[in-house]
Amino acid sequence: MGDTELELSPAQLEELQKSPSASSTSTTSSLSLPSSPSSGPRPLTSSSPSTSEGLPTSSPPLDVISEGVGELSLVIDTEVAKKACQEVLQKVKFLKADGEVSSASSEPVLVNGTAHPLSTDGGKPPKISEEEAEPVKNVRRRQKNNSSKQSWLLRLFESKLFDISMGISYLYNSKEPGVQAYIGNRLFSFRNEEVDFYLPQLLNMYIHMDEDVGDAIKPYVVHRCRQSINFSLQCAWLLGAYSSDMHISTQRHSRGTKLRKLILSDELKPSSQRIRREVPQPPPSCPPPLHHGQGMSEHSLSPSKRTHQRSKSDATISISLSSNLKRTASNPKVETSQDEPVRLTPQREFIKSLMGIGKRLATLPTKEQKTQRLISELSLLNHKLPARVWLPTAAFDHHVVRVPHTQAVVLNSKDKAPYLIYVEVLECENFETSSVPVRIPETQIRSTRSVENLPNCGISPDQRASSFSTVPNYDNDDEAWSVDDIGELQVELPEIHTNSCDNISQFSVDSITSQESKEPIFIAAGDIRRRLSEQLAHTPTTFKRDPEDPSAVALKEPWQEKVRRIREGSPYGHLPNWRLLSVIVKCGDDLRQELLAYQVLKQLQIIWEQERVPLWIKPYKILVISSDSGMIEPVVNAVSIHQVKKQSQLSLLDYFRQEHGNYNTEEFLTAQRNFVQSCAGYCLICYLLQVKDRHNGNILLDSEGHIIHIDFGFILSSSPRNLGFETSAFKLTSEFVDVMGGLDGDMFNYYKMLMLQGLIAARKHMEKVVQIVEIMQQGSQLPCFHGSSTIRNLKERFHMNLTEEQLQVLVEQMVDGSMRSITTKLYDGFQYLTNGIM
Amino acid sequence: MAQIEKKAGLLRRTSSSKKPLKEKVVLMYDEIFAKEDPTKNNPRFWDELFLMKVNLEYLEGKLESLDGDEVMKIKDNINSLFHHCVQALGEEHQIKVVNALQTLCALFRGVHQKNKSATGFDIINMLMGFDKAELRMKELMESLDSLLCGDGSESLKSLCLKLLLCLVTVTDNISQNTILEYVMINSIFEAILRILSDVSSRAQHGYDAVVLLALLVNYRKYESVNPYIVKLSIVDDEPTLDGMGMVIHHALTEYNRQYKDKEEENQGGFFSTLSSMRNFTECLWFTCESQSHPEIEMATTPATPVPASPTTPLGTTPPSLDMMNNPELPLDPNLQTSNLLITFLKYSSIVMQDTKDEHRLNSARLCLIILTCIAEDQYADAFLHDDNMNFRVNLHRMPMRHRKKAADKSIPSRPLVCAVLDLMVEFIITHMMKEFPMDLYVRCVQIIHKLICYQKKCRIRMHYTWRELWSALINLLKFLLSNETILLAKHNIFQLALQVVNLFNMFITYGDTFLPTPSSYDELYYEIIRMHQVFENLYCMVLRVSTNAGQWKEPASKVTHALVNVRAIINHFNPKIESYAAVNHISQLSEDQVLEVVRSNYDTLTLKLQDGLDQFERYSEQPREAGFFKELVRSISLNVRKNVSLSTMSQDVLLKEFSSIS
Repeated sequence: MGDTELELSPAQLEELQKSPSASSTSTTSSLSLPSSPSSGPRPLTSSSPSTSEGLPTSSPPLDVISEGVGELSLVIDTEVAKKACQEVLQKVKFLKADGEVSSASSEPVLVNGTAHPLSTDGGKPPKISEEEAEPVKNVRRRQKNNSSKQSWLLRLFESKLFDISMGISYLYNSKEPGVQAYIGNRLFSFRNEEVDFYLPQLLNMYIHMDEDVGDAIKPYVVHRCRQSINFSLQCAWLLGAYSSDMHISTQRHSRGTKLRKLILSDELKPSSQRIRREVPQPPPSCPPPLHHGQGMSEHSLSPSKRTHQRSKSDATISISLSSNLKRTASNPKVETSQDEPVRLTPQREFIKSLMGIGKRLATLPTKEQKTQRLISELSLLNHKLPARVWLPTAAFDHHVVRVPHTQAVVLNSKDKAPYLIYVEVLECENFETSSVPVRIPETQIRSTRSVENLPNCGISPDQRASSFSTVPNYDNDDEAWSVDDIGELQVELPEIHTNSCDNISQFSVDSITSQESKEPIFIAAGDIRRRLSEQLAHTPTTFKRDPEDPSAVALKEPWQEKVRRIREGSPYGHLPNWRLLSVIVKCGDDLRQELLAYQVLKQLQIIWEQERVPLWIKPYKILVISSDSGMIEPVVNAVSIHQVKKQSQLSLLDYFRQEHGNYNTEEFLTAQRNFVQSCAGYCLICYLLQVKDRHNGNILLDSEGHIIHIDFGFILSSSPRNLGFETSAFKLTSEFVDVMGGLDGDMFNYYKMLMLQGLIAARKHMEKVVQIVEIMQQGSQLPCFHGSSTIRNLKERFHMNLTEEQLQVLVEQMVDGSMRSITTKLYDGFQYLTNGIM
Repeated sequence: MAQIEKKAGLLRRTSSSKKPLKEKVVLMYDEIFAKEDPTKNNPRFWDELFLMKVNLEYLEGKLESLDGDEVMKIKDNINSLFHHCVQALGEEHQIKVVNALQTLCALFRGVHQKNKSATGFDIINMLMGFDKAELRMKELMESLDSLLCGDGSESLKSLCLKLLLCLVTVTDNISQNTILEYVMINSIFEAILRILSDVSSRAQHGYDAVVLLALLVNYRKYESVNPYIVKLSIVDDEPTLDGMGMVIHHALTEYNRQYKDKEEENQGGFFSTLSSMRNFTECLWFTCESQSHPEIEMATTPATPVPASPTTPLGTTPPSLDMMNNPELPLDPNLQTSNLLITFLKYSSIVMQDTKDEHRLNSARLCLIILTCIAEDQYADAFLHDDNMNFRVNLHRMPMRHRKKAADKSIPSRPLVCAVLDLMVEFIITHMMKEFPMDLYVRCVQIIHKLICYQKKCRIRMHYTWRELWSALINLLKFLLSNETILLAKHNIFQLALQVVNLFNMFITYGDTFLPTPSSYDELYYEIIRMHQVFENLYCMVLRVSTNAGQWKEPASKVTHALVNVRAIINHFNPKIESYAAVNHISQLSEDQVLEVVRSNYDTLTLKLQDGLDQFERYSEQPREAGFFKELVRSISLNVRKNVSLSTMSQDVLLKEFSSIS
């Protein structure tokens, strides 16, 4: 919005346009503003959102910044400046009266741009909330500067090309408070999702860089926190996680910690709250609380009613209400009162209980015990659902209604206990305002299940047992309550004799009488056995259950199958907005590197898409909750290559044939192409990010043939010590090459060509990738930033100075090197190439 | 005032031990048993009475000693006593409440002991008076309800439950206890559930509450609508159901633990711990009750209750069960590897070890009935067969000479149905004795059959070692054959034989739908061929019996028909095997060689499809089991009555606690 409100005189615009390319040359000639407070009349750099209230929005923030060096100069109309200065003065007085801390001088706008701590602007109501309605405009005025050469930077900022990535870059690189403050304002003009992508960078800068940057960022963060609970929590978690590397003593007083406390104190309420209160709005909470006893007493007894077509509506609803009460009682402040006094609590409690489960699981010795414990714990968690909680990794707004606890599995890990849960949610407009779904007791499902819908045939063993159909039609009570679960199924049976007085099951009578009366039916024993082997052969893609590896079976089941199965078993399954999500809960692991890797992957994915290179990678979402816990969005329909090989006892190529058909089938070729495209993508990723510790357990294979690398615990400067030095650029085993059709195949050439194209495309946008990493290095103790040359080495791997032909040679050599390292020959030339050429 | 009174009472009591001086309370009782209105001389008579420590024995004894006519003479005073007892329940003074509760206890019991011959209506008249009965009982139940649901002392709640238990068990046959009609009308069901759903109250009173509920649901359940059954069947509040499950679970666990302790100490006859036995029985029975009651079951099943009752006998779980799935586990995350069903299976394995004793025989029968209900319930089955829920169940095995004690650790973690099948196999091989428990065997085979029907229907392939089952069943046939004459005197062995043969028919004709591997089908044939002598002998026997006229002609001929496929298999493969041996000059074929012959000769074998194999009769409590359950309820009633009286006495302690507070 900053740009739309900015007004330039036509003359100025012309000036600006005349010097579009001045950027690289203007650095020294521009009038630069030292950041010391005494540098003459300075604009008010307060980034407090409250300053904008009285200011005319038309005051143009005219900051011109020269690139790279970060010097700043201003072009500003004198008149405007004067007027604005006066306003700012007034403003400052006003602020003081309000008790806001601000260091403003009495002279026309002499404000120390670096010393403007906004301690707690959070809870001070009226002003703030009003101003929230429109994005904060941080007005900044600079002394008049006639130099037209600086205007290019302004133009850049105003231009359509200026995107969030550039904004972050300037924010990070510029040493000028003015530029930083300007960009802080510009953040408001980007779409939320765009900024969200860089949230880790923004917050890391806020924590670890100087106060100017912090002040520039804060208004935006505070603004967004007011708008969104989700954003608030994300911020709080990230702030906690990224502050954790600081020394304890400094950490306590750091800005990051303070902001975190502010957010968690929940003082950042939606500014529109007052307005919202006036608007008649359905209370966010579920049905009005009922006293438990009351709920019980609603079971009015009607002894005359012998049938058990009980009015479940009455009975179950009263119970569900009472259980609702209990649920809210455990979170007393949640949901019940009208103005949502504790916005963040339910979600925090939810996350906390998930983490608590992880911690308790870690104390158990065997997988089996862990699994059982997990299931029990989750079933208890279920009692508190639905609630105003959600999975932050999901792409849509929803409320969690149920955790199908028997589906949860413990993942393979030596000493920690990461686990995978499936979560049933109901999609909603907005999880903050939509009302929480009413609890449907598990038991209700029984009444809706009808035996007739039991699948009678063609059921593969893994769908079995729990796959009952749901009949959402509640009217059909007779059927639903039918006693004859199993008995009715055998339709072919003649009528049952009820007169026999002995204890023999009726069937035997029937089978014998029918034998005598009817033409006997003959079947061949060979057919029975053949059917048995055929049926078993038709379900080859399920894995055998292994108590030591409980996740293999769960992950192998096709996602759609699983969704269908769980939906049928869920009391909420009949609702049209029902969705199934899954999430991996990690407790005891630092996911900050994973998050970094996700960002890089995502960025590269965007770049490749933009450049139309058909590389395939699958960045999976990461939620950092603290420096040692978090959640991961699981990759669906994928199992690790380790599991594939262990379970199938086949080579990768044979497994492909088993899953997708023979060589020349369409399915196989598609899967093979997918494999190649994903392989090329991940090889580049592995090279650029120096992803190490690549074993088969860390590489997944999905049902379409793509590989997906997971676990980015060793990237950039860190590598697992015990493995020594992984010399090859990436992992390329002979099995992979076999799937691609061998070294001489077309697909293998295609693979190399994709790598080259991908590298060229990535090189073109190197800055975007590097900045993600570079900013996160600030103040970080993560192993991936170990040493001093992390960023330099990263940049070098993009080989900016090579021609495309040279790049092709490089790719060939890397592939060759990786191939040769399979054959355990040490490849020296590659080292030379990567280090020597530069 | 209260203290003064109390001191006086104490003094008197101590002195009364030396001289025939009577306690003041006894004197007051005597006044009641006089024909005069006790308030005539002392207007504060009732107030004072309830401040006095109750002398249960005296009061009961006195009531008992009166004959009918005498009682009628003092009816007004007794009515008045009852009335004031009920009123005292509303008092703030807890001592009064305690005393009133105990006095009521004594009244109920005394009146019943005395009037063994009296009808229920006489008793009601005597206690409350016909005209007032309805009102009085309403007041009483309401007072009890509010005491149970209130925040008052836990001891008080405990006393209330004792009073109720006492009331429910005053007659041997619960259905003859006419006063319970008022308990039906003025339901305290909600209060009981409340106790079960609350964690702390459940811990203290859960057992009593479950026993009480179990007894109440048996009141005239066959003759009329029992509101408690109806309500129980629609309970679907998870915490409550969980709570019920927990109580049963704890009781069973306690029993199992005691057994184990005894076993470790090597003291035989731990079975003598009848009291714990009783508990169990009760709980179980209760579970079963709900399950077994056809109506309940119906309701329950579909609803939550199922769980409650039936399903898992778990009963336990039943509750929450709603999904058995869920509930079970949730029960207690801290008891991770255990849930109600597991505990129940362990309990069953203990109880079934020795069925010579009548009591244990009944317990074993109850266990099998519960398992039958479970096996019939498809939701329970789904839980049993859920691949995601694996458990390690250590069943107790009877020490036998010819087998070693299996190492517990070797048991893998499997779906629960495997444990159920193991239990059945264990039962089959350990009870082939002269006192043949035919009834239990029939149930046992039915359970297996029901489970297999479910697997066939849902195409579930359990990785179970079916071979053990086959060999156990064949051994059972062998036993029946060799003891034909003895057994036939008492039992219809053809019925059991037919069931067993039909189980084999299930495997033979429908094996493709539920056997885990093709080779398991081969193994089935191998087992039949290996034991062909047994089948051939069985055929000879049934053929012989069916050709003779007599009561067994009909059942025996059914077995001959059922044997058709087994005989076809034997007749088909045996010559092939012999010729294979001849051709290869081998005298004794190895298993692999036989399997080879089997595999290569399937195609020339034709089987007859017997329909109805996967049909079974559903369990119904009435009329077949009604007698059993009536007896069970009676024995539980007796047991509870005996124990309750003791515990009531121990309320002295409690009384002191209150008096010092006041």
